[in-house]
Amino acid sequence: METLPEVPQRLEPLIRQIGPALYELGQGFREDMRVPARIVADSELLQQMVQDRSVPQLVNVTTLPGIQGFAIGMPDMHEGYGFPVGGVAGTALPDGVISPGGIGFDINCGVRLLATGLRHEDVKEVLPEVAHDLARSIPTGFGRHGRLSLSPEQMDRVLTEGVPYLVDTLGLGTLEDVDYLEAGGCLDGADTAKVSVRARERGHDQLGTLGGGNHFLEVQRVERVLDVEASSALGLFERQLTVLIHTGSRGLGHQVCTDAVRIMDSALAHEGIRLVDRQLACAPLSSREGQDYFAAMCAAANFAWANRQVLTHRVREVFRRWFGDRSAAWPRIVYDVAHNIAKLEPHGGQRLCVHRKGATRAFGPGHPELPAAYRQVGQPVFIPGSMGTASFVLVGQGAAEAISLSSACHGAGRRLSRAASKRQVVGSELRAALNRQGIAVECPSNAELAEEAPLAYKDVDRVVDVVEAAGLARKVARLVPLAVLKG
Amino acid sequence: MESGTHQFEPHVSEVQLRISGTGLPELFEEAGYALAELMLGEAPLPQPAPESAGERVTLVAADTEALLVDWLNELIARSDLTKRVYTDLVVDELKERSLRAHIRGVSPPVLKTAVKAATFHGLELHEHDDGFTATVVLDV
Repeated sequence: METLPEVPQRLEPLIRQIGPALYELGQGFREDMRVPARIVADSELLQQMVQDRSVPQLVNVTTLPGIQGFAIGMPDMHEGYGFPVGGVAGTALPDGVISPGGIGFDINCGVRLLATGLRHEDVKEVLPEVAHDLARSIPTGFGRHGRLSLSPEQMDRVLTEGVPYLVDTLGLGTLEDVDYLEAGGCLDGADTAKVSVRARERGHDQLGTLGGGNHFLEVQRVERVLDVEASSALGLFERQLTVLIHTGSRGLGHQVCTDAVRIMDSALAHEGIRLVDRQLACAPLSSREGQDYFAAMCAAANFAWANRQVLTHRVREVFRRWFGDRSAAWPRIVYDVAHNIAKLEPHGGQRLCVHRKGATRAFGPGHPELPAAYRQVGQPVFIPGSMGTASFVLVGQGAAEAISLSSACHGAGRRLSRAASKRQVVGSELRAALNRQGIAVECPSNAELAEEAPLAYKDVDRVVDVVEAAGLARKVARLVPLAVLKG
Repeated sequence: MESGTHQFEPHVSEVQLRISGTGLPELFEEAGYALAELMLGEAPLPQPAPESAGERVTLVAADTEALLVDWLNELIARSDLTKRVYTDLVVDELKERSLRAHIRGVSPPVLKTAVKAATFHGLELHEHDDGFTATVVLDV
């Protein structure tokens, strides 16, 4: 892969600043680039990005057939596989490509924020027990105990109907829930026939499970309101008790992506086409392979929304046990956003297949897809920090349309490998430090804690400042953790 | 000489695996052992009980590199389905685009690392005087 020379202090001549917190690497950098690569960052984040292979990976994305405008790196961009994590690209319908690697194996990995009418001080004394109850109520680990198991017919309904099926038929939520989910918790276009038997088998007992890695469920409080108008629209207030859920489509989604990459790679090999990165295996969206993958991806995305809905139900059951049936104790959904997905969206007068890999949609005020309560302020965007650090709620801004295809970042972004993090952090010491900060930690493995330590991630406050400076989204509230549950 | 060795190499967000084998079957077996070590977080690997059930694997792929990715993804998928981690791996036959193997596993209560998939990113397979070396990135 290409490597960039050390970035000069003034970021010239290769990567040049073209706007507030916006840089561009022009098409002339490499012969096979179809469009420029743009990066939303400040100089410090950019210096971090050039330490790994994320910028060359973004350059590789610019070679995708049908790509429009530019490939975009978000402020939390870091090295992934194929696309960098924090990468966005739009390809033009009908013949622009769809690339499963540009969505990721964890299709519709995403974040959901729940909010209650409770204040932290109302529940402080019992929070450790509540956290423990959450840990017991949400299956983790490798076994089968306590899992919701779907029949084949139920699996079909989940894959095609997503959250509305769970609400209407299984009673796992309310009608109001659906209004506050991206795409209403269901993408049209799902076709269960395009989801392999193996994918369905892997997913049949995984609804309502977190999974491992950087997935988590976090109980938080709103530390600070940063925008009164927007926080009022979102129903957030200081000292409020909230819950953030981060997970995706589990083994079902992983298998859908595995199957699709394999098929598309074989098809390209058959045509004698070699990509600059084989993980960017792709097919025109109009092709049979492209259509089949899109249909399977929609199904996997619906499964992920259903997964977060079942987890929401579990949280509600626990909160009812501890805080009763009063309305203040009910965790309502603020919003739910996907950050590994492809969406068909109009941009700049064209219909594009927008790939977001470790990036979220960020529609600005007035967008018709937003719930009526948010239309004045914009779509909620969630940027979780690393374990033990702050998370942010923002709302999308109209300027994001032209800058980033209405996209924002999805987190703080890793800056250290898991191995490097474990060399510098002792998991048991981190656990003790978090406990001293008043954060209850439910995670069986100290090694896993060390891998997810705050120092392994970029500075979330800086990342969020850059998102706002670039005009992608504006800050609404800062949330801090009270309890962390990891799979 | 060991028939296979492996190292976990630095990668910011995923796991990069470098595997060597005196022959291709040995390299494929070693890749499976590396995967098991990553999932279990321990070495040496626990061995399945003598009475534990064996499973047969048959794969066909576009080329040998793709076969390696398919092999690892097969082990990952089966782990998800059977709740076993495969620590006894024998590649019975390996051709340029196909393999047959038999495998047995252990049933741990928890995994150290949940592996989503093996990727094609940075995939390399080279033959040299001492055998073969490959590099594979795993999504974790």
